Amino acid sequence: MSRCLAIVLLAAVGLIAPAAPASAQAPVKIGVLTPLSPPGDASAGQLILRGAKMAAEEINAHGGVLGGRKVELVVEDDGGTPEKGVAGFRKLASQDHVTAVMGQFHSSVTEAVQELAEQLKIPMFSTQASSRGITEKHLTYTFRTHVIDPDRAQFWTRWIVQQGFKRVAMIAENTDYGLGLSEETKKAFKAMDVKAELKAIIFDRAVVDLTPQLLEIKNWKPDVVLNVGVGTPVYLIIKQAVDIGLFPAVPMLVSYDLPARAEFWKNLGDKGTYITFIAYYHPTMKLTSRGEAFRARYREQFKEEPVYGALNGYAQIMLIAEAIDAAKSDVGEAVAKAILAGKFQGWNGTISFTHGDGPYWQQWTPPMLMMQYAKPDTPFADATIVFPPELKTGDFVIPKR
Amino acid sequence: MDTYALAQYLLAGLVIGIIYSLMALGITFIYSIMKMINWAMGEFYMIGSYVQYALLVSVLGPARWYLALPVSMAAVFLLGALTQRLLLRPMYVGVIERRDEYATIITIALMVFFRNLAVVVGGPNQYAPADYARPTAIGPLPISGNRFVALIAAVVLLTLFYLLIKKTWIGRAFRGAAQNRVGIQTAGIDVLRLDMLAFGVGVALAAAAGALLAPDFLVYPENGAISTFKGFEIIVIGGLGSIPGSVVGGVLLGVIEALGSVFLSPAYKDLYGFLLLIGLLAFRPTGLFGERERTI
Repeated sequence: MSRCLAIVLLAAVGLIAPAAPASAQAPVKIGVLTPLSPPGDASAGQLILRGAKMAAEEINAHGGVLGGRKVELVVEDDGGTPEKGVAGFRKLASQDHVTAVMGQFHSSVTEAVQELAEQLKIPMFSTQASSRGITEKHLTYTFRTHVIDPDRAQFWTRWIVQQGFKRVAMIAENTDYGLGLSEETKKAFKAMDVKAELKAIIFDRAVVDLTPQLLEIKNWKPDVVLNVGVGTPVYLIIKQAVDIGLFPAVPMLVSYDLPARAEFWKNLGDKGTYITFIAYYHPTMKLTSRGEAFRARYREQFKEEPVYGALNGYAQIMLIAEAIDAAKSDVGEAVAKAILAGKFQGWNGTISFTHGDGPYWQQWTPPMLMMQYAKPDTPFADATIVFPPELKTGDFVIPKR
Repeated sequence: MDTYALAQYLLAGLVIGIIYSLMALGITFIYSIMKMINWAMGEFYMIGSYVQYALLVSVLGPARWYLALPVSMAAVFLLGALTQRLLLRPMYVGVIERRDEYATIITIALMVFFRNLAVVVGGPNQYAPADYARPTAIGPLPISGNRFVALIAAVVLLTLFYLLIKKTWIGRAFRGAAQNRVGIQTAGIDVLRLDMLAFGVGVALAAAAGALLAPDFLVYPENGAISTFKGFEIIVIGGLGSIPGSVVGGVLLGVIEALGSVFLSPAYKDLYGFLLLIGLLAFRPTGLFGERERTI
């Protein structure tokens, strides 16, 4: 009996004792909710995560936040689907008690998750999700430091006008991103009074055989094709367009910086030559001092050029940490106010958030570049910047038939 | 209607229909012997594409894809046989009561398992082996070199399969098991071993489709999903359990999708196959070559 009592007492002490130390040195948790498995664009998520991890390491090496507390990243995979995204966010909020969440890449997921963020009062960042609806809803807890679709559509419309293209074909995926860009391009053509015809074909992301759609485009005889897929569909469109003789005879523009990734040439071989794409970072760009330091560390650690997703992931974690310090709190509501009130050093400029009209609410837009690979196996660092004119490093090339 | 455009679409549809009929053949062959539907066929397609890619980048080099193809098929055959032996044989030895539900649960679980295993082992990103052949043309119509080669290989495999079934002793055993599973045992055939071989052959055909289409449709964990539902569409159109039905169904599906794309819109290409399916089932529920059967 007394032995039993002793065991029970010991067990009770064992349970109570670890709970006793004050939570003063408990880490501050920041959630990273990003695609890490299909059908999401897992490459993108991994790159964002790289940047976020490097930021957390840097912050902790410099004493952490709130007087010595370490920053801990809690990673959840949203798989590119709204359901997994919402489940992941809920877990981050209720189980891990994160202060803020970043890492969002797919617009469809972001639009589902931001409602939850608003309800639970946790600031969240779109790291690379660009549909206008995300910031157009004017929610208090949604922030973005990435280009939005109206900007993207206007950017390529300016390029189309400059090149004198009269027949523009677009093949877009049936997600918020693809459908959004299709609508924005139509609006941009109208707003900028563009005298070109636009033909948009929508495809299902699950489909692998896009030959019939590309054949229809080819038979329409376009001057340029806009490739509005995300992840695997981008490669499928390029490959199959080359196979039917559509590209590179007709130039093709990829709507985001997938061709900047290391595996681009491995997946396409020569078929990627002459592809044009939108990027937000180039190795020859001048960065802020924080950006330059990050770039040097990234090159050393990974032996390759940093990619925009990693840079943005890094900048957002640094921003969140500074906001936590400014708010002197790890509670989401206070941190959100500090984010809105503050100015933060990003990797490519000073970031601040205002309440503008339409989608320009808590939205900071980085500059865009249009790049081209004029030769096979061109490293990203050697790609030509073909637009805008004030930043170009070379001429746009269309191969002779 | 521009005949050149029509011809391009028809060719594209025909080529892909024949290649997908390999999938359908695998599903229908397994069904005819084992009387169960294998929902994980797409994942064996996916494994076939991964093995092909791995062989080409490591041991064989990109030019010897025609050597890698039989090796991937053999590897997936062995995997299939092992899977059948361990997970599916209990259905046939009186251990499992609710056989159909068991088969469905096990094969769907395998589907989820293999997909996630691919993410863990190969990473979530896509790979692509180098092209098997340069883009070429059939008459005036351009065609991807890969699809042309895949078309030839699919026809060869379908022919070899036909010869296996019609001209060999084991083929006769398969036909017997499909007609009367109990009767064949009285003839002294080990029907359980036959099940294992049939499953292996069926999934090897799916692996062949995956290996052949790898350069065009890429290698990534989800690449089997669409081929599964194309395979099922084809077997319902052609008739479950019918081998000529798989081939005819495949060609018909390809042609209908092509014609729908030309005369209506390519955006709804996948819808036309299902409309054909619904229409066919309304008038001929057993599919084109299927037969009504009675089971106890």
